[in-house]
Formats: sequence, C-alpha cells, structure tokens
Amino acid sequence: MIEFYHVSKQYVKNQYALNDINLTIEKGEFIFLTGASGAGKSTLLKLAFKEELPSKGQILIDSFNINLIPEKKLFKLRRNIGIVFQDFKLLTRRTIYENIAIPLVIRGERKSVIDKRVHSALSLVGLTHRRNYIPEHVSGGEQQRVAIARAIVGNPKIIIADEPTGNLDTELSIEILKIFERINANGITIIIATHDKNLIKMFPKRVIRLEKGRLISDWSKEEIL
Amino acid sequence: MSLIRTSLHNAIKNIARNKLISVLCLGIIAFTLLIYGIFNYISFNLNLATREFSKSIEAIFYFKDNVDINRIENLIRRVKNNLLVEQVTFNSKNQAETNFTRQFPELKYILTEFKQSPFPASIEITFKLEYSLDTKITSFLDEIERMNIIDSKQLNTEWAKKIMTIKKFISIVGLFLSSILLLVSIFIIYNVIKLNILYRKDEIHILKLVGATNWYIKFPFIIEGALLGFFGSIMASIILFGLLKLFPTYATFMFDLIKGMINVEIIPHFIFIRLIVLGTAIGLFSSLFSTQHFLKT
Repeated sequence: MIEFYHVSKQYVKNQYALNDINLTIEKGEFIFLTGASGAGKSTLLKLAFKEELPSKGQILIDSFNINLIPEKKLFKLRRNIGIVFQDFKLLTRRTIYENIAIPLVIRGERKSVIDKRVHSALSLVGLTHRRNYIPEHVSGGEQQRVAIARAIVGNPKIIIADEPTGNLDTELSIEILKIFERINANGITIIIATHDKNLIKMFPKRVIRLEKGRLISDWSKEEIL
Repeated sequence: MSLIRTSLHNAIKNIARNKLISVLCLGIIAFTLLIYGIFNYISFNLNLATREFSKSIEAIFYFKDNVDINRIENLIRRVKNNLLVEQVTFNSKNQAETNFTRQFPELKYILTEFKQSPFPASIEITFKLEYSLDTKITSFLDEIERMNIIDSKQLNTEWAKKIMTIKKFISIVGLFLSSILLLVSIFIIYNVIKLNILYRKDEIHILKLVGATNWYIKFPFIIEGALLGFFGSIMASIILFGLLKLFPTYATFMFDLIKGMINVEIIPHFIFIRLIVLGTAIGLFSSLFSTQHFLKT
C-alpha cells in the first residue's frame, strides 16, 4: 500500500509542484495518474521512488515512511519498484538481454537465475527473438517493452510508469497497456502517468487527476465505467 | 567476487574506451613516479656511501710528552666504558716508533738521531656503527680534547658529514619535486574519473533507479583509478630499470666521482615495490575522492 499524507513539493519558493496531496493506493491496484503538462504527475511519481524529497508531508510504502530511508539503504526501496520512462532510459551500448538483466546483475544473482528470469520477462513482453539486439536496432515500441521487461524482471511490488506511451502511436500504446494489464493480473501495483484520454477510456481503471499540483479528482474504476 | 569481477571488467573497458585520456594519464603518472624513483635511488646510494664512510670513523688523540701513565690508563678506562665506543687501542711512544719503521723502513735512519722515540703516545678510538654520525660523538670528542693531557687530535668524520649534507639536500629537493608531481598525478586521476562519471551520468542514473548500491556504482571507478596508478607505476618501474641498467655504461666513462660514491651494480628492488604500491595507492585514493565528490545523489 502506498500512502501520501499532506504531501507538498516546492522547487521554487511560493510555487507548488504538488500541493497538499492525500492519496492511498492499495496493493494490486492499477491507477492512471492524469493531468495536463506541469500538473505534477512526474513529481508525484518521483516522490514515490524517492528521486525527489517532499517539501512537506509523509509518504508511506507498506506503512514505512520512505522519508526515513537513509541514502545508503535507498537501493532496498528501489528494488521493490520497477520504473518505466517515456524515453525508455536503456543502456545504448548493451544488448536487450543485458539491459533487462541489469536489476538481477546488480543483486549478484547467479547466471542461471538471470537467464531464466530474463527469458520469462522477454516472453511476457514478446521480445525473445530480439534478445541479442542493441536498443538502437529495434523500434520505439519494442524499446518500451524492453524497459517494461527490465522493470518487472526483479519481481517488484510496484511498477511506476511515467508517460510510457508518450512516444508511441495508438496501436503500440494499446499493446503496451495490455502488457501492463498482464503484469497487474499477477498482483503487482501499477501506477501510470499519462495525459492520453483515449487510453484511459479504453482501459477503465482508477483515475487520479492533478491540476496545478493539486489532486482535483479521484475516480474509481466503477465510477469511470 | 562478482562485484570485483564486474568492476574490473568495466574499469578495463573504460580505460580502453578513453584511449587518449588514459594514455596521457598513464604518461603523467609514469613520469611522476620515475622522478620519485630516481631520487629514491640517489638517496639510497648516498645512504650506502655514508654508511661505508661511517664504518671507519676513528678519532686519534695524541698525548703530551711526559704524561703520567696512570692518567692515560684512567682515560682509556673511561673511553672503553662509553656506550658509543667500539674499540680503543693505545699506542705507546715506542709502539709508534715501531709502526713507523715498519711502514717506512727506508726512513729508519732518521730515528737514529733521537735518543728516545720522537712520536707521541696516542689512543685510537673506533665508534660503533649505529652511533657513527651521532652528535653525542662530537661532544664526547670535545670533552676528551679539553683534557690537559691531550696535545692534538685527528678525525675522519668530515667526509661522512659532507655526504650527509648532500643527501639531506637531495632528499629535500626530491621530496619537494615528488610532492608537486604526486599532487599533479592525483589531480589528473581525479579529473579523469570525473570525466568518466560525467560521461556515464545516464548509466549511473539508470543503475541507481533499478536499485544498485552506491558501492556497486562507485567500485568500477575506484578500480579504474587504481589500475591507472598501477599501470603507471609499472611503466615507471620499467623505465627506471632500463635507466639503471644503462647508467653504468655512461658512468664508467663520464662520472668517476659519482661512480665512486654510487654502487651502480646494485639495483634496489624495494624501490620498484615502493613505486608500485605508491602508484596504486595514488590511483585508488584519487578515484575514491573523485567518486565521493561526483557521485553524490
């Protein structure tokens, strides 16, 4: 469970990127975080994996206040969260297999374990045939699928995706969303920031809307339907 | 084990990728350590020379005529009991005459003119090696000289003192030059690592986001610094070894005096070990500082 209590974030004095956010996300939920550019979606996600620190308020993950995690122990939080970015953030000089294996390599997993889990992740995103390619040699949609495979390979409890379909056409975006649905079916919490209204309509889920740093609506899946 | 292997692999890849910077960096480290090694070698040889001179430090005190033998015996006893002294030999007037005739038989006739031996009685004092250049010796000798039974003295500590002064001077110059060059090396490695960190900024960011520990990220850079230092010191050692092998050929013809003081046949291995340890340590600490500074979150 992820809880935000009166969370505010200011980058500049008197200007709120996020203003007094109160939010609870249950385990296994699938959430769209929406709003116009500059609404605070990315900031909210960055606070969840502690890339940014809140100016005010508390963020709890499984009842543990992440503000209290020291820098040295931050890796423990990050290993429970898979992150997907709009610009994929893949290592350009490494193969797709190597990119996906990174979260396991840094944990010192055995080669046999890495092989098995990377293969499962590649199967889930349908890229087993591209394992030895470098990212530059595959399409944008495939690169995003690599990023998703990297995010899930370490068995995280939460997946956070910041505009994962921002660079993709509608067809590819739907494909990506379907992959997220499959991951969510395994009980993994999914939080996706997007401003694509069509996608939100196509995949009815809980939708949290931000505007100028404030949470202005929180509709459940049922309300959306 | 896996971390060390991965880090080593990444570090070697980084060095190979930035060929120009790596070669420049290695060249500067090698040059720095070579200068340090040369001064170390000179200092080592001057130490040897000083020790060689110091081995035979002797003082000879000549007694005045008609000195009471009891007073001489008292002095000998006192000198023998001194901790600085290795050996004391007394030469009576007659012994001095015998020694003279043994050494210069052709001049024996001169002595026939004298009713008794013209040579003064003397004592020869040899000092222990460990105290050979101790200031206590000087004060001890002064104390003996002030006694009214002593006519004159002879000392051979002067050469050793001169060599010591040269050695001190060379050590100071060497230390000064080496310190500046070592600082330059530290600065260079620090900046090479900084450049690599900046070059791999995105990769580091990704590694952090997927849960890499700080050490996992830092370690390849630290290893890279240590490798640069290590390879730089190996280069310096090879060049120094070559120079020391070549030096005797020139020294034989050109520097007789230096050759007299420096034993060119000896190549002290401890200098190479010192260079390698120092080079690796410089690399290690420079990269450690650099990562501490540039890998803050």
